[in-house]
Amino acid sequence: MWSFFKIVSTPNHVLKSFRHNIIYVKKFSTHNLYQEKWEAIIGLEIHAQINSKKKLFSNSSTSFNEPVNTNVSVIDAAFPGTIPRINSKCVQLIVATSLALMGNVQPVSFFDRKHYFYPDLPAGYQITQHYAPISLGGKITLSPLDGLDYETDVRIKQIQIEQDTGKSIHDIKPGMALIDLNRSGTGLMEIVTEPDIRTSKEAGLTVRKLQTLLRTLGSSNGNMEEGSLRCDVNVSVHEIGTPFGTRCEIKNLNSIKFLMAAVDVEIERQIAELKKGHSIIQETRGYDVAANQTFRLRTKETSADYRYMPEPDIPSLIITEDYLTGIHNKLPELPDDLKKRLMNQYNISLRDVMSLMHEDGGVEYFEEIAKNRNPHHVVNWITHDLYGLLNTNNIKFNHNPVTTQQLGSIIDSIKTDDITAKTGRKILTIMVLGDKRLCHDIVQEKGWKQLTNTYELEIICKNILSKNPKQVQQYKQGNKNIFSWFVGQVMKETKSNANPKLVNDILTKYLN
Amino acid sequence: MFYRAKFFNYSRNYVNVSKRMLSNSSKDQRKHLWSMTIIEAANLLRQKKISTVSLVKECFSRISKYDAEINAFIEVQNEKKLLDKALEIDAKGSFNGSLDGIPVAYKDLFCTSSLSTTCGSFMLKNFKSPFNATVINFLEEAGAIMIGKTNMDEFGMGAANVYSVHGPVYNPQSILFDENHFEKNDGDQRVAGGSSGGSAAAVASGMCFAALGSDTGGSVRLPASYCGIVGFKPSYGQCSRWGLIAYANSLDTVGILTRTVSDAQMIYDVISKFDVNDSTSITPEVRSINSSIPSFFKLNSNADDLRGLRVGVPKEYFVSELGESIVNLWKKGISYLKSHGATIVSVSCPSTRYALSAYYILAPSEASSNLARFDGVRYGHRSEESNKNDGMLYANTRGRFGKEVKKRIILGTYALTAGSYGNYFLQAQKIRRMVKSDFDRVFKRPNPLRFTKKDSGCNENKVDVLITPVTISTAPKIEDCLTTNVNNFINTYVNDVFVVPASLAGIPAISIPFGISSIDGFPIGLQLITQYGDDDTLLGVAKVLEKGANQK
Repeated sequence: MWSFFKIVSTPNHVLKSFRHNIIYVKKFSTHNLYQEKWEAIIGLEIHAQINSKKKLFSNSSTSFNEPVNTNVSVIDAAFPGTIPRINSKCVQLIVATSLALMGNVQPVSFFDRKHYFYPDLPAGYQITQHYAPISLGGKITLSPLDGLDYETDVRIKQIQIEQDTGKSIHDIKPGMALIDLNRSGTGLMEIVTEPDIRTSKEAGLTVRKLQTLLRTLGSSNGNMEEGSLRCDVNVSVHEIGTPFGTRCEIKNLNSIKFLMAAVDVEIERQIAELKKGHSIIQETRGYDVAANQTFRLRTKETSADYRYMPEPDIPSLIITEDYLTGIHNKLPELPDDLKKRLMNQYNISLRDVMSLMHEDGGVEYFEEIAKNRNPHHVVNWITHDLYGLLNTNNIKFNHNPVTTQQLGSIIDSIKTDDITAKTGRKILTIMVLGDKRLCHDIVQEKGWKQLTNTYELEIICKNILSKNPKQVQQYKQGNKNIFSWFVGQVMKETKSNANPKLVNDILTKYLN
Repeated sequence: MFYRAKFFNYSRNYVNVSKRMLSNSSKDQRKHLWSMTIIEAANLLRQKKISTVSLVKECFSRISKYDAEINAFIEVQNEKKLLDKALEIDAKGSFNGSLDGIPVAYKDLFCTSSLSTTCGSFMLKNFKSPFNATVINFLEEAGAIMIGKTNMDEFGMGAANVYSVHGPVYNPQSILFDENHFEKNDGDQRVAGGSSGGSAAAVASGMCFAALGSDTGGSVRLPASYCGIVGFKPSYGQCSRWGLIAYANSLDTVGILTRTVSDAQMIYDVISKFDVNDSTSITPEVRSINSSIPSFFKLNSNADDLRGLRVGVPKEYFVSELGESIVNLWKKGISYLKSHGATIVSVSCPSTRYALSAYYILAPSEASSNLARFDGVRYGHRSEESNKNDGMLYANTRGRFGKEVKKRIILGTYALTAGSYGNYFLQAQKIRRMVKSDFDRVFKRPNPLRFTKKDSGCNENKVDVLITPVTISTAPKIEDCLTTNVNNFINTYVNDVFVVPASLAGIPAISIPFGISSIDGFPIGLQLITQYGDDDTLLGVAKVLEKGANQK
């Protein structure tokens, strides 16, 4: 049923990285692992920046790319005498995320201080939820809908609210560490999974799926490259039938690709160590992209005692049934439901659906245009032509200049035979470059309207046939291939505006 | 001298003062302005019998005369500037704000944007906050004039106010009223008490009419008792902590130091408001629930009739360390309330004896966390050495905390480490809950935080108010508190034994001057405690009790 996943069809840049991962995984040895009775146990800790306008505990803006230290209030800089005040919008987004992940939102949760000294941590502690997080339980189900050959549940252990730190900037001034507190106090949700993941592919798909979910909910941008989604991964290996091995944590992975690669090399490293008769030491490791290997950051012995203490300045967070119901009723359509609906309603492939969903706003864009139009045509125009043109011109989909009316007008013009598909692509190119007019207006200005007048076309065809008696002779002697040469001549004459089907019919009629 | 240590009741003294003032020359009047209550001063201001300028001048003259010895102030406003402001107020002539023209002082842990805020610490030397504490804004809106910032134990840690980078505060009793004290103590310098010692000393010596302190574990009640004035700790959350530099957030409350209970009520009425900036501020919803619960005294009562009031005497407060003269005054206070119709009941708060230990786990734990921000990176003191030393980024800077603060940081850090959290912090939290439920069990009025309709039927066997001593002794000698003897610090902490339970429970408590020790002549206070949110009953009973101070 899901065979289309094996058909790596038309080149599609958008899915390139995704496919690349799949190919990449195949190279790896989950299969071999099982043959050798090895199994990897993987858990994820994901930090996603909460997509709120204001910070978690202050009124400062969370906007990116501002000059350093401009979005900083006395609370963010931990001035003495300040008291944090929780932003209800952040709570709302986290509760929505918990509900979407089928977590149990706790009626009472509270905040704790996690202590460590670092210059970009102004208070000397991070406010987090250690003892009583806002949500317990939940799961992410991976299925063929996500590109897995089988179905598996990745259980969520807990979801907690916490604040982000500032940024330390080294290397700009030699010998100096510069501090930017713009990010300090931005809300984060930490999503911790149970160690239910067994392969790097599952790990990658879990993060991918979560990313899509967060974007659908609007609770986080989920952008790993920009750091709005950060991922730590715990990996251990053991021989099947024996207890789980000692785990190592790999920190600061900033793309799904690197996450999967790091997991694979870490699995290999641990197996190699164990085969040599060494034991695995619990430690925190980093991932060196260039060398494709993990390396030790710190061992458990040198890790900090965070001295967790209940945050006395923030009262317990009480979440009522009414509040939950309110948020539940406002939840948008979740990705799995959306996928199923799109496939059923429009009869388009999972690949097309995934392609639409991959871009923020892609589905809405599609559904708007697909009203009263052939969904297959619409999805092809979006995922093949529009995505491609945007990519060539280095435009992100969320800055797509082509309105739904514009793309719709192209599809309509083709349907009414006003233009050819080829002309349609030329017009789309013009639109991508910023032309705000509808298809019809551009066609008129450029004189690209398709020739569908049979009488006119007959004259043109007859002209061409009479000018080229030699070729007509050849055709009649049996060289049927020369037919397309005649078509080409007509197209040349009409600047490609002639309706190809009519040209075919007319030429066939006169040549035979 | 008009001020007699045996007569600590300022309002009573004022009867004499005002008579004299109204009849005598202006020279005589100036001489006694400083000892008036806020209510008296405000009335005279409204009647234009005195001026704001004269009040401000009076305070400055008291400061210049005595503060070199008492050391109550860390920073005083520019006199000329303040007199100009006073002139403006007088010129405007309208004294509609309840505190218009009244000079007040703030403990140096309240953030002020015009004066520096040091917390008595080298770490915040010259630190100027970009904002004012909410309570200070409230007082300024009501017309109060800030004279200056008062001395304190570093970050509020201490019971004697000897741990300040600006030096100890000396008890004004031994400086101003030396002749009242008995011979054998003559010449001894006493502590003002801590940690709001500067605020208490400033009010007691007439350098201002009221001062704000902070009370974490008795820090306004103790110095109020030692200095012979009123020290009021309202319910936790009544007054905003925004701008109060935290020692232990879950215990810190804004405290009020005045010469009479009515004055304390005036200040309290101004600052007891919800503040959106303080997440622990009592919300308007809870305030309205609270006011719907019946209490013995309604808002701002002045009734003397205590018939129907049930006063509890907690038996656990008779500790062996308690001095005899204090026991006597305690008994006198109890009989005084009884003579006004109150019923006296013996009650039991069995967790009291664990309260002190719990306090000295919880408060240092929170302190060790709060003080982590003083790393010299963003504000305050930063050691030059810090830049030279890679491995120990903050060690040199943080070495500049005082001895007592370092001790409590280490204590708190230890209590929070993974290995001891369960044995110390969690146990202390349990005790805290036990102390709270002790009080909930004893008080007739239900706790508004746990209020349900079925609680509204009051249990008549319970009490409205508790009466206890504030301290185990009168103000100790400075030298005894400064001793480096390791064993001594436990003894110093014992001073907090009566004041800490109310802090742990977050309930209101007030220290009322109730006479002097028959042994050394230094003042002794009595403490009243009521249910959470029942600040009105507390102040109402306190107003009656303070009148008993002068009775034989």
